[in-house]
Amino acid sequence: MPAAAGLAAAPAPRRRARRSIGDALTAGGFLLPNLVLSGVFLVLPLILTVVISFQKLDSLGPAQWLGVNNFLDLFRDPTFYETLWNTVVFTVCTVPLGMAVGLGIALLLNTVMPLRTLWRAVIFVPLVLSSVSVGLLGAWMFDQYNGFVNKFLAVLGIDGPDWQSNGTWAMVSVILMTLWQRIGLDMIIYLAGLQGVDPAVLEAAEVDGASSWRRFRSIVFPLLGPSTFFLLIMNLLFSFQVFDTVYAMTAGGPNFSTTTLVVYAYQQGFSDHGPGQLGYAAAIGVVIFAVSLLLTAGQWRLSTTRDEVG
Amino acid sequence: MTLTRRQFLGAAAGTAALAGLSACSDVHSGGGGAASSTDLPSVSQSAAGSGSAGSTASAGAKASPTAKLSGTVSFAFWGGSTGETAGFTYAKKKFEAANPGTTIEFQVSPYDGFFSGIDRGIQTGKAPDTFRVDYTTIAKYSSRGLLLDMSPYFTTAETQAFLPALWDAVKSNGVPYGVPHQTDTTCIVYDTKAFETAGITSVPDRLEDAWTWEEFADVAAKLRKTLPAAKFPFAYDWTKAGAFRWLSWLYQAGGTLLTPDLKKAAIPSDAATKALDFTKSFFTNKWVPSTGTIKTSQYSDNFFLSQTVPMSFVGDFLVPEIADPKAGYKGDWAATFMPRDKAAAADLGGNAIVARKDSSNPDLAAAWLKFLVQEDAMRYFCEQAIELPTLQSLASAELKYAFRPDVVSVCAKQATTISDTIVKESTVPAFSSINTVLGDQLELAFHDQSTEQTLAALAAAVDKALTS
Repeated sequence: MPAAAGLAAAPAPRRRARRSIGDALTAGGFLLPNLVLSGVFLVLPLILTVVISFQKLDSLGPAQWLGVNNFLDLFRDPTFYETLWNTVVFTVCTVPLGMAVGLGIALLLNTVMPLRTLWRAVIFVPLVLSSVSVGLLGAWMFDQYNGFVNKFLAVLGIDGPDWQSNGTWAMVSVILMTLWQRIGLDMIIYLAGLQGVDPAVLEAAEVDGASSWRRFRSIVFPLLGPSTFFLLIMNLLFSFQVFDTVYAMTAGGPNFSTTTLVVYAYQQGFSDHGPGQLGYAAAIGVVIFAVSLLLTAGQWRLSTTRDEVG
Repeated sequence: MTLTRRQFLGAAAGTAALAGLSACSDVHSGGGGAASSTDLPSVSQSAAGSGSAGSTASAGAKASPTAKLSGTVSFAFWGGSTGETAGFTYAKKKFEAANPGTTIEFQVSPYDGFFSGIDRGIQTGKAPDTFRVDYTTIAKYSSRGLLLDMSPYFTTAETQAFLPALWDAVKSNGVPYGVPHQTDTTCIVYDTKAFETAGITSVPDRLEDAWTWEEFADVAAKLRKTLPAAKFPFAYDWTKAGAFRWLSWLYQAGGTLLTPDLKKAAIPSDAATKALDFTKSFFTNKWVPSTGTIKTSQYSDNFFLSQTVPMSFVGDFLVPEIADPKAGYKGDWAATFMPRDKAAAADLGGNAIVARKDSSNPDLAAAWLKFLVQEDAMRYFCEQAIELPTLQSLASAELKYAFRPDVVSVCAKQATTISDTIVKESTVPAFSSINTVLGDQLELAFHDQSTEQTLAALAAAVDKALTS
């Protein structure tokens, strides 16, 4: 009965093909809005930024093609290297410290602790504030003559540092305010990760005689790998692109000591009373993008735990 | 070393792209600190081009329009000041009543980002017909030929009604591209009790008697002796975009920033060295807060209101804030003039109103501008906003300022020290770029960079800005 069997089996592939087309249309329908939004608001601006970085362009136009001259000028500009260094210092200080403190707090709040919901909310609240508000708040708190921090230190008999006129202390104050705002995110992501750790595994290790530190080092921390990977990428990007907190708090001063790459790009391209060189600012933006891409790609290659848990 | 085909092709494509890009142009943006001696076009060339294009209309030809005005023009200004909004609203109502069938459409936005918005509007063809612009920014637009030539709308007699320096402030190559609406400048406010405590009994009440630099230094030194370590004799208003106000010291010392043809920096000079050394001494002598530099989040009025300083250099537009019964200064305060050295000098503050050259209703736009600078509208605006008029008739009149007319009177007299040179140098098209490098270099100078190094770097950066 091969012919009859063939007749009976014939509709099945057609149904599969129809279902397959239907699935593709459904998937396309779901994907389209995201693709359109990503294309319009991410890919297109990115391409335009790269194009503008090869032009001489101010806010009134028209554009003039420069080739790579903006990049040549940038690599000869000593202020660019100073701002790049400031950005690296800011990133190196905020990312590991913020994640370590966030992890510590998450471990604390993951235990049976009185009022832990309240503490969780208190630590998380700064994250929902706008970064400009945090910067303004920081400017008031670290005002070296009338600010809360130095007044408080004076009560303790300590002569407070020059938070605003000394470059190093100004950077410290910006880092502290950033940490205050960002630790909430680190804490909440780690807390979610900790709640995914199987208590049975920890109990088994305890029965085997593993100390608390050993349990954390050999079981908990490795299982938090996906959380660490996510936070590392996000924090690196946040830190490398910091602008609003710094600009509202120190305006990049004193001198250029807190001027980060994005603040420098803003001053060169977008400040109403600046030189308005959008092409040069775009070149700085391309450098920021390239560095961010390299950092992310490097971390992606080095991380062995990124895919284990979503 | 072996080279794969993929590596070879990648390297070849990269090299070709780089070579192609670098061969495209020898022009530079002029951003950052790199030199760009081949930048085109020069400021004078572009200004000359637009100037000649705009000066073809005969002066005063449309000064008394015969055709009935009608239609709508938009007017953009930055909000935030109740007094200014009241002044513009008063003028709008009067204008619309005097010209039935016309409408002035306000477009109010915050000061931060205001000019970016105007620029985007110009790029997209949706800019307002008329807008407010400060004197130090007007050349950015006039040098591109974007503004309406106002000379047909004003007779010679009408132009002579303005204070000459302020009418010059809206001109580019002899062509007026707007109307001078109001001005403001810096004067000194001080706490009278703190002065008494320091034994400062004589404070100038006439411009001719303004302190010399030496007398001002004595005053600062006396205050320093009576103040605790965390308080300082005074603060200066050079914060952020106010960096150009440092130039008042340069002008007072008898110097200029630019050569007479406005094409090159006129520094380093003895006057610039003297002015920079003197202003740097404010920090070394602890006469000003160490945070009172250019790049700071605190302005000179903040220091005065928080009583960190008993004396402050402030613009007259800040008088309402300082005089505010609730949030203003707690204590008795008065005003005096800026110090003088070889000359008295003050910064060019204030704003013009301009109309777009390609406005769909240029005659109505020009009529609105002209109405704003008529005596009645200007008087009301200045009285409400605590700002200084630009008409000679009002400059010499007693205006009924809503707050502290005695203080505003001091600032008004100080405004007469804004010389032609100050106006010309403050209104070059590259002034925004110059202001940025001035701020960068002053900030470094106030943090120990040598005077010689600062002036040399400033001269190079100013020359670069003028040729970019």
